[in-house]
Amino acid sequence: MNAIILTAIWGVIMMFCGVFVKSKKAPKFIAITGLLLVFAANAVELATKKSFFNIQVHDMLQMDSFNLAFLAVIFGCTLVFFLLSGADVENVGSHVAEYFALIFFVLCGVSLAATFNTLLILFIGIEIISIPLYILTGSDKRNLKSNEAALKYFLMGAFSTGIMLMGIAFLFGGNPTASFYLQHLQIGVGPMPVLIAFGLVFMLVALSFKVSAAPFHFWTPDVYDGAPTVFTSFMSTIVKAAGFFAFLRLFQNAFGNMHDQWQHLIIFITIATLLIGNVTAVFQQSVKRMLAYSSIAQAGFMLLAVFALNDRAKEGILLYAAAYSLATIGFFAILIKMEDYTIDGFNGLARQQPLLAFTATVFLLSLTGVPLTAGFQSKFFMLMAAVENGNNFWVVIVAVLFAAVSAYYYFRVIQAMYFKEPGNLPLTRETELTGSFKAMLLITAILIIFIGIYPEILVGWMYH
Amino acid sequence: MGITTIAFILLSLMAIGSAIMMISSKSPVHSVLWLIVVFFAISGHYILLNAQFLAIVNIIVYAGAIMVLFLFVVMLMNLNAETEPIKNYRLRLIGILSGGSLLLVLIAAMMKIDVAQPVLMSTGDSGLIKVLGHALFTNYVLPFEISSVLFLSAMIGAVIIGKKE
Repeated sequence: MNAIILTAIWGVIMMFCGVFVKSKKAPKFIAITGLLLVFAANAVELATKKSFFNIQVHDMLQMDSFNLAFLAVIFGCTLVFFLLSGADVENVGSHVAEYFALIFFVLCGVSLAATFNTLLILFIGIEIISIPLYILTGSDKRNLKSNEAALKYFLMGAFSTGIMLMGIAFLFGGNPTASFYLQHLQIGVGPMPVLIAFGLVFMLVALSFKVSAAPFHFWTPDVYDGAPTVFTSFMSTIVKAAGFFAFLRLFQNAFGNMHDQWQHLIIFITIATLLIGNVTAVFQQSVKRMLAYSSIAQAGFMLLAVFALNDRAKEGILLYAAAYSLATIGFFAILIKMEDYTIDGFNGLARQQPLLAFTATVFLLSLTGVPLTAGFQSKFFMLMAAVENGNNFWVVIVAVLFAAVSAYYYFRVIQAMYFKEPGNLPLTRETELTGSFKAMLLITAILIIFIGIYPEILVGWMYH
Repeated sequence: MGITTIAFILLSLMAIGSAIMMISSKSPVHSVLWLIVVFFAISGHYILLNAQFLAIVNIIVYAGAIMVLFLFVVMLMNLNAETEPIKNYRLRLIGILSGGSLLLVLIAAMMKIDVAQPVLMSTGDSGLIKVLGHALFTNYVLPFEISSVLFLSAMIGAVIIGKKE
């Protein structure tokens, strides 16, 4: 509850900043202060199980340790994002305070999507996440690609929202109590009623779209490529993790006891996502586009949690959200500072900027899933969850094979940085590489290795 | 077959027929006008369900305000045959195929549901504003209040996109 209310309030405060604070640097610091506050309030709620606000919610929200721990991960990653890339938000356009306000509203939506207990709140949460994102995608107004991406995202997003609403209508009409509450959708033994099955498929399609799982991923490369890079970093990590969390919670709490009836649909989507994401990423020359496809590929791994649907999967999604978000945010922060976004643009970066090259290597290794990094632990937990699931073991083998494929395109960047000769021109915009930026990069890399060695600290929050 | 069933069937035919006319008519202005008919038919359904307030709001907001806005946009954009994009027949075929299969599955599944009474006329005061307001501010106060965040972010978005740099 703390998180929902404070993020909404801080969004409004950021709006007023746009009016009263003229300095372009100030919004970033106000945003960081607000986020620290939100993080602390959420941590207090996680520790004491008591909210500052006593609001009658009629059981529409569920505040348990798992949800609050996930929110803590989300706010932590956003904090890293603000510290690393906050200065780049200032370069996007002239409405800096409003961009931060929109990010806070997205966080409010994430808090709703992480704690919903009725379909109503899920819908509102997903919409509060989506609408600010359409705007952030199109915030680089003079760039045609950004405009195109925003329009494409908006039209397709609106369509998928329509599908989700229709699914909710089916589910509402299909359960005997005619209620939006998730626990009322749980049907006992026997085959699924027709209306519930329809609702399930429509929800599956809409949520797969929101998390860019194949075959509903077609918007992803264009939107991630067209959007200003700093916002791509935000929406391909934090927002996507939140989408998966909502996905997992909906299918666990509403359709959990019909698991074996819809498991095959999830297997199809998982395999298709892994295949399309990984194979297409191999052929990309632009690193930004490669990351867009790699985010589809990582989505395939996160889908394993929905496939497995057990306690290990819950631990896995928590770890995956942290590992994937931290590594991708870190790598995007470096990418923004590059002059050239192609893989050749990274040639010989290790000679010019050894620290940047080193941290980029850590991030990429974590994305690949090399031991000692957080990425390894998260992939390990996901695969273990899928194994503990007990059936369809072949899915695990396929996932491991595709993880090996992903090594190819991540290592290409590492190879370019360390083994290729640099040109005469500087590769990065060196004036922007301040000491604090480099220190923050190093801290992020250390954090990733730390989670890789002690994942139980993060997972332990869940059982607090 | 009671009078409600007949009214329901008539309204449904009207809604579906005008919806088909809306997507198939060549002129965008005609499309918008057909869409207004769809909204009126749906308002009729709301009245059958004893949701008078919803019916009125549906007409005022959708058939009134939003449609006028739509008409303005369509007329300002001056769409005609020359500005129409080139049609891709393969894409159209794929669209028909996938849409048609969805329709087939939907119909096949809906046939399986047996309903004792297809049209049920609700009575009582459940559709009155008083009851609606009571539900909105007691049981559903959380979603009601939270939607303000949604509208606020949409408003900020309109300002950001519309304002000169």
